[in-house]
Amino acid sequence: MRFIARFCKEKSEYFEIITIYDEHNEKEEISKEHPSIKTITIKNPAGIWFERKMHDDFGIIFEDAFDNRPLVHQERFPKDIHPLRKEFTQTKIEETPYLPYKYEEIDGDGVFQVAVGPIHAGIIEPGHFQFSQAGENMLHLEVRHFYTHKGIEKMLEGKRLEDAKPIVERISGNESIAYQICYRDIYLQATKQELPLSLQKRHALLLEIERTIHHLTDVGFIPNDAGFGSALSFASKLGEEARRKMKEVTGHRFGFGAVSFENSFIDIVAFNEWLNDLDKDIDFFEDWIMDIPSLWDRFDTTGILSLKQAVKYASVGVVARASGVKIDRRENPFYLKHGFSMANEESGDVGARFKVRLKELKNSIEMMRHFLEEDETVLEVAEICDGEYQSFCESSIGELFMSIDIKDGVIERFFARDPSFMNWQAVHIMMQKDIIADFPLINKSCDLSYAGNDL
Amino acid sequence: MIKFWNKRAKLGIITEKPELEERLKKIRKEIKKSVNKHFAGSLAIRMVDSGSCNACEAECNALSNPYYDLERLGIYFVASPRHADVMLLSGVMTFNMTPHVKEAYAQIPSPKWVISVGDCPMMQAPFERTYAINAPATEHLPIAHHIAGCPPSPLEIMEGLLEFLKKI
Ligand code: SF4
Repeated sequence: MRFIARFCKEKSEYFEIITIYDEHNEKEEISKEHPSIKTITIKNPAGIWFERKMHDDFGIIFEDAFDNRPLVHQERFPKDIHPLRKEFTQTKIEETPYLPYKYEEIDGDGVFQVAVGPIHAGIIEPGHFQFSQAGENMLHLEVRHFYTHKGIEKMLEGKRLEDAKPIVERISGNESIAYQICYRDIYLQATKQELPLSLQKRHALLLEIERTIHHLTDVGFIPNDAGFGSALSFASKLGEEARRKMKEVTGHRFGFGAVSFENSFIDIVAFNEWLNDLDKDIDFFEDWIMDIPSLWDRFDTTGILSLKQAVKYASVGVVARASGVKIDRRENPFYLKHGFSMANEESGDVGARFKVRLKELKNSIEMMRHFLEEDETVLEVAEICDGEYQSFCESSIGELFMSIDIKDGVIERFFARDPSFMNWQAVHIMMQKDIIADFPLINKSCDLSYAGNDL
Repeated sequence: MIKFWNKRAKLGIITEKPELEERLKKIRKEIKKSVNKHFAGSLAIRMVDSGSCNACEAECNALSNPYYDLERLGIYFVASPRHADVMLLSGVMTFNMTPHVKEAYAQIPSPKWVISVGDCPMMQAPFERTYAINAPATEHLPIAHHIAGCPPSPLEIMEGLLEFLKKI
């Protein structure tokens, strides 16, 4: 039974704690006077961030949890406020005196701490990494995020679905299409409508363009972090071309606003030409890069996440598939019919994650060929009904989960679990046999989102 | 390896391919000239994300791809604010990032400028005010120039940098 998410909803008389597993959901009610509940983290360690977040957001106490430090609320955040409670309506808070955060640290003779971030050396999102080092060897890493926390869950409450969309598509820029598809599915559930096949194909096409752009960026940046810059030049050229394709098809380089209920014209001939060129370029790239021994010396056996650990930490997406976990939300009749095949590796190291991306790139090209269709279908949307809705989508990082409750026609509660939220919690395990110089490489090989994680 | 060299010879330098937009060619020349004039040939930028959606960062990263290749014009993204002339600021100034952004700004040696990139820092992106957002950035830092867009394309960022260079 795979753990997916755990979150809280405030009802008028009680808090409802919902735990999502792949096979079923669990709901528990707890009183508002004594909001306390048993932890699930003994069995599911990846539950800890969810529980710490719920403590910050709602003030819920988790009995026997192995960690009860704040997560989202950082050093200067006012104590004892719980912004996701309905009674909290402030749009401005004041900084309070600095209260140091107690990092997980290993002590000992000659062991020292290295603090990295929140602002990093490259053009990259903010986050903090705290290493306990014995010389070059990493003994422990604590990943600490939520610097980009914008309060989006709260921001969306009270909005109509249509009005919330521009915000939802900007939760994580690299996964915008995936967020839009999750959102689309909730919209359709709420209007009790089915999506015509042609629109389904168009959206799936967009999702694969997005995946192609993201994976191309990664297969360039990963070798670059091992000192092999020419791979980045080559792959980023292909990435730019894919981005221009996205612009041609959707009018926006990231596809913001692209998942709609109206199909528009697409130049199939030009699209196919691009796919053919890309196909050849990726073959060339693979042939070239697989043959650089010094690069594979860095990739192989670096940053291993074993199958057992990946399962224990409920990892998802590229990271999980590189460790031999066979999960992909695209494994369904629609995708299988259009040429989907799951990319898997066993070794769970940087090399495996790189290879999974290459395989997925090739598979995406094949699927895009099947999704291409000239079509101008329009779906008239019906009235939105109140209710509780959930959806999933496989973004370029991994499984994305979204839950929206609608009450009186507006959003009562919005919750999204980015794939990064799961995988960040497994990153510290990958470090345990490596040296600190490998950290950027390992981190890049996972390429997780900060914005989606922090929300 | 031989295949690689063959490919390289065939591909050439794509930044100099004539079919590339005229607009890009023109600004490239102008940027180079102004960087030479105002910054002795090298302008160092420290990019700081104060809570973006990452699309603005992706477009700044794209500035280094072979199509735009900003470094050839003397503009570098540097690893430390202490090496920087300019801070390029994206994002909505989250509550959690605000102190760190101000600290980074303090670390940049004078003379220094802040250029905001994307609609976020001006609170013009679709995000709305919550407890966790401190934007607009103008309330926290002196913004010398703003590059609008959600996100601005690499070309628009280059044009924005050029406008900034003309201003100072
Ligand atoms: S301006 Fe737009 S693209 Fe840039 S970070 Fe903000 S939301 Fe994302």
